[in-house]
Amino acid sequence: MDWARQLWMRLQTLFRRDHLTQDLDDEVRFHLDEQIAENIAAGMNKEEARHTALRIFGNPSLLKEDVREAWGWVWLEQIGQDLRYGFRSLRKNLLFTVVAVLTLAFGIGANTAIFSLMDQVLLQLLPVKHPEQLVLVAERGIRFGDSWGDNDVSYPMYRDFRDHNQVFSGMFCRFPTSINLGYGDRTERVSAELVSGSYFSVLGVTAIIGRTLTPDDDRVPGGHPVAILSYSFWESRFSSDPSIVGKQIVTNGYTFTVIGVAQAGFDGVELGYKSKVFVPMMMKAQMTPRSGGLEDRSLSWVTAYGRLKPGISIARANASLQPLMHSILEVEVQEPRLQHYSTYDRAQFLKNTVELLPGSQGWSGLRERMQTPLWVLAALSGAVLLLACANLANLLLARATTREREMAVRLAIGAGRRRIIRLLLVESLLLSVIGTVVGLGLAFLADRVLLATYFSADSAGDFPISSVPDVRVLVFALGTTLLTALVFGLAPAIQSSRADVAPALNDRAGSAVGAKQVFLRKLLVSGQMALALLLLVGASLFLRTLANLESTGPGFSTERLVTFRVDPSLNGYGDERTKDIFRRLAEDLQTLPAVSSVGLSTMPFLQGNGWSNPVIAEGYVTDPGQEPPAIVNEISPNLFKTLDAPILAGRDIAPFETRPVALINESFARKYFAGRNPIGLHIGLVNEQSTAQDVPNLEVVGVVKDLKFKNLRDPAPVEAYYPYWQGVKFRFMTFYLRTRFDPRQVMETVREQVRQLDPNLPVVDLRTIDEQIGLSLKTERLVASLSAVFGALATALAVIGLYGVMAYTVARRRREIGIRVALGALQSDVLWMVMQQVVVLSGAGLAVGGLLAFALSSLIRSQLYGLQPHDPLTYVWAAVVLAAAACAAGFIPSWRASHVDPMHALRHE
Amino acid sequence: MGKPNDLVQGMLDLLILKTISLEPKHGWAIAKRIQQISNEVLQVQQGSLYPALHRLEQKAWIKAKWAETETGRKAKFYSLTAAGRAQLEKEAANWSRLSGAINLVVESA
Repeated sequence: MDWARQLWMRLQTLFRRDHLTQDLDDEVRFHLDEQIAENIAAGMNKEEARHTALRIFGNPSLLKEDVREAWGWVWLEQIGQDLRYGFRSLRKNLLFTVVAVLTLAFGIGANTAIFSLMDQVLLQLLPVKHPEQLVLVAERGIRFGDSWGDNDVSYPMYRDFRDHNQVFSGMFCRFPTSINLGYGDRTERVSAELVSGSYFSVLGVTAIIGRTLTPDDDRVPGGHPVAILSYSFWESRFSSDPSIVGKQIVTNGYTFTVIGVAQAGFDGVELGYKSKVFVPMMMKAQMTPRSGGLEDRSLSWVTAYGRLKPGISIARANASLQPLMHSILEVEVQEPRLQHYSTYDRAQFLKNTVELLPGSQGWSGLRERMQTPLWVLAALSGAVLLLACANLANLLLARATTREREMAVRLAIGAGRRRIIRLLLVESLLLSVIGTVVGLGLAFLADRVLLATYFSADSAGDFPISSVPDVRVLVFALGTTLLTALVFGLAPAIQSSRADVAPALNDRAGSAVGAKQVFLRKLLVSGQMALALLLLVGASLFLRTLANLESTGPGFSTERLVTFRVDPSLNGYGDERTKDIFRRLAEDLQTLPAVSSVGLSTMPFLQGNGWSNPVIAEGYVTDPGQEPPAIVNEISPNLFKTLDAPILAGRDIAPFETRPVALINESFARKYFAGRNPIGLHIGLVNEQSTAQDVPNLEVVGVVKDLKFKNLRDPAPVEAYYPYWQGVKFRFMTFYLRTRFDPRQVMETVREQVRQLDPNLPVVDLRTIDEQIGLSLKTERLVASLSAVFGALATALAVIGLYGVMAYTVARRRREIGIRVALGALQSDVLWMVMQQVVVLSGAGLAVGGLLAFALSSLIRSQLYGLQPHDPLTYVWAAVVLAAAACAAGFIPSWRASHVDPMHALRHE
Repeated sequence: MGKPNDLVQGMLDLLILKTISLEPKHGWAIAKRIQQISNEVLQVQQGSLYPALHRLEQKAWIKAKWAETETGRKAKFYSLTAAGRAQLEKEAANWSRLSGAINLVVESA
């Protein structure tokens, strides 16, 4: 009962404080009245009685304070007072508050925006059970045969690992691929994933309706036409229809039965690739027509994942898998395809190893690409925050000076130092919190803009990144806030609490404390200048990189050039039909009045991928194993005419000529036919059937200009082209159209033309080359634009800081300046005297910043194009911009100083 | 004035508890009563009395209730709780032990 009553009292004193206060007043009044009554009874008159009663009673306010203390919660009450007071004083100094809040908001907003992206791209784990147990199984060493990616393995190899390892509680493999999906009357192209039967169970992903795949759904090649839908796809495409299970969908012309919908939030294991449909691995032949692979050890295409048994480390698993790897290699080395390689090569092949990579985040090309740029941006935004903090400290210091008197009064009437420090900390905390709230808003907006401009085009809004900050981002922002408030509020607060009461009250401004403080503020401003220069140098390096990339161009004219892709093989069309579609589509498009020229190439330009293939050339001795492969491509006649890239020697390929011919580019000619005329000589492609005795069989009929191929950054590769109809497989084709007028108007006609030819054939990635180049420069553009924004912010913050300090210095030296003027100093003398300080401050900052930038910029060498990290022009430019801004900001207080009226200034004291 | 006074806090608590052990009293009456009984030796400062009363109430040794005095005025009456009664016995025993001991020392010296 005791504790209940005590608790009740505690609650009363917390929540009914007003009531209790009223109560106490009544109680005290009653006591006084009784005393007065007694005094009157003792013979005093009314007035006398009251006076005596009050005197006996003592100080009622003090009594009430003591009683309140007895009630408890005083600390809470005081914080409440501090908060109220803090709000009031922030409202009173609105300009200070707005500048401080904006400063913080920009610093925290920039960091939160970048952190939010980093968090989602670099830090997020897969939404599966115990993601930390997942590892990716990759092969390292010499690999003969085709590979989709460095970390991919062949399906038979995956199977060997799956069946014979001792370290995994389960393994699965997957392969991302696009499919044509028909349901109802609509056919569309969607991203899908071929997955092993163990995929869902090993990941620990369940079905929300129906069931997921089991190993029994993945036994017979071509025998399991079943599909799982992702939750988001089920929601958007099938309107969350619960009766979808058991219904049929048509994928690539085959009828599949939907057996389940995966749990919400699971979109596969690759960030940036949202799988909408999951299909058993055994359906590979149906999903990717005419590229088999289930039994092909020379084709590495699946990503293999294992789940480590509990207690087994990656290192241990790695060691334990090596013997297994070796026994797999022993089998593979016996395959006929490897027999024509030298004994040395085969010995090297047997030394291949297995490598386990952490798989808790899955694997993502997007993450690999974005990693460095995001870290660079994080560093830049961190510098902005540092600058913002310095600015805030500066503001708070300035404010502490103007409040010296107020603090002295507080100290004089008995406020404790701790109370004063707490009051000031509460104020800076308030500022930080408001700044954070505004900053979070800014970050949200910034991320939305970034996502819209940067990521949306990736897969039409499929991107798994959201602009809504999650808990981790909020914790990050909150942590940043508390840190800023503490670090940058504490020093000024402690300084204020030390205020010397007497001189401050006597208004003897400019004491020793003031001088020390000015030095600190000047240091801060110089530091800001240094950081701002660093950011400006970074920004201009990135901006010029972008400009360089944009102006170098691909080597051909991009004006009015339209491209798109078709993939008839996904509809299950055979080679002949596919080849026929290519031919007829090219002819049809050529007849359009808006199109001046049409060219085809199997592999697209500037999309980051290409076929590499070792080549041999007549009269050129190849060093086997050492020779880097060339890029090869299948093309149509007129491709180079369409691209406006001249054929420098010889001729173009002729339509459907049957003689084996090839075109080579300048680099190819320089490398393989140095000093010789390549026309009429022969080259050959090395493939698995090739033998050392092979004779080059393709006659070189022409040399074309070097064109960039994979991207704008890399120089034009050594490249050879041969007619597409002379290839062996016909699957997909990239079309290039040079239009006569605005390409946007031609696009619909193109679509219509394809529809007329074959209504079931989706047109993929229809856009202008300029758009495509824009997409290929996304990362560069993101980094350049953000670093420009950060640089501008940094400059603004540094300039504000400089202005603040100079204005303050001038105000402090008013009297001195007045005396100087009275003694005959000219306006220009005074102006120069103050400007000298500006020059010293910013000069010191610029020097330090220059050294800093010089030291740090080599870290971003790999991100630059067409200029060196120590490019002198960039440094000069950044320094000039910053110096100009600093002088402009410093000029205002200098000018004001030069116009000080001596009479006025001296009388003011 | 101020917090430190003639009466040590523990003693004041004991006096208050004892004073209201027979019947509920308001603050004024408590102060008067202590003064009278002690033959005007013990003067309770209001600045100590009321904080002490509120502290004891927080400890749930006493409880307060507004009621009318004989003169018909509203006043806050304090009375002992069960816990307060137990506390009173403990402190009274403590006090007599302590004062007896002090007496022994003082008188035998």
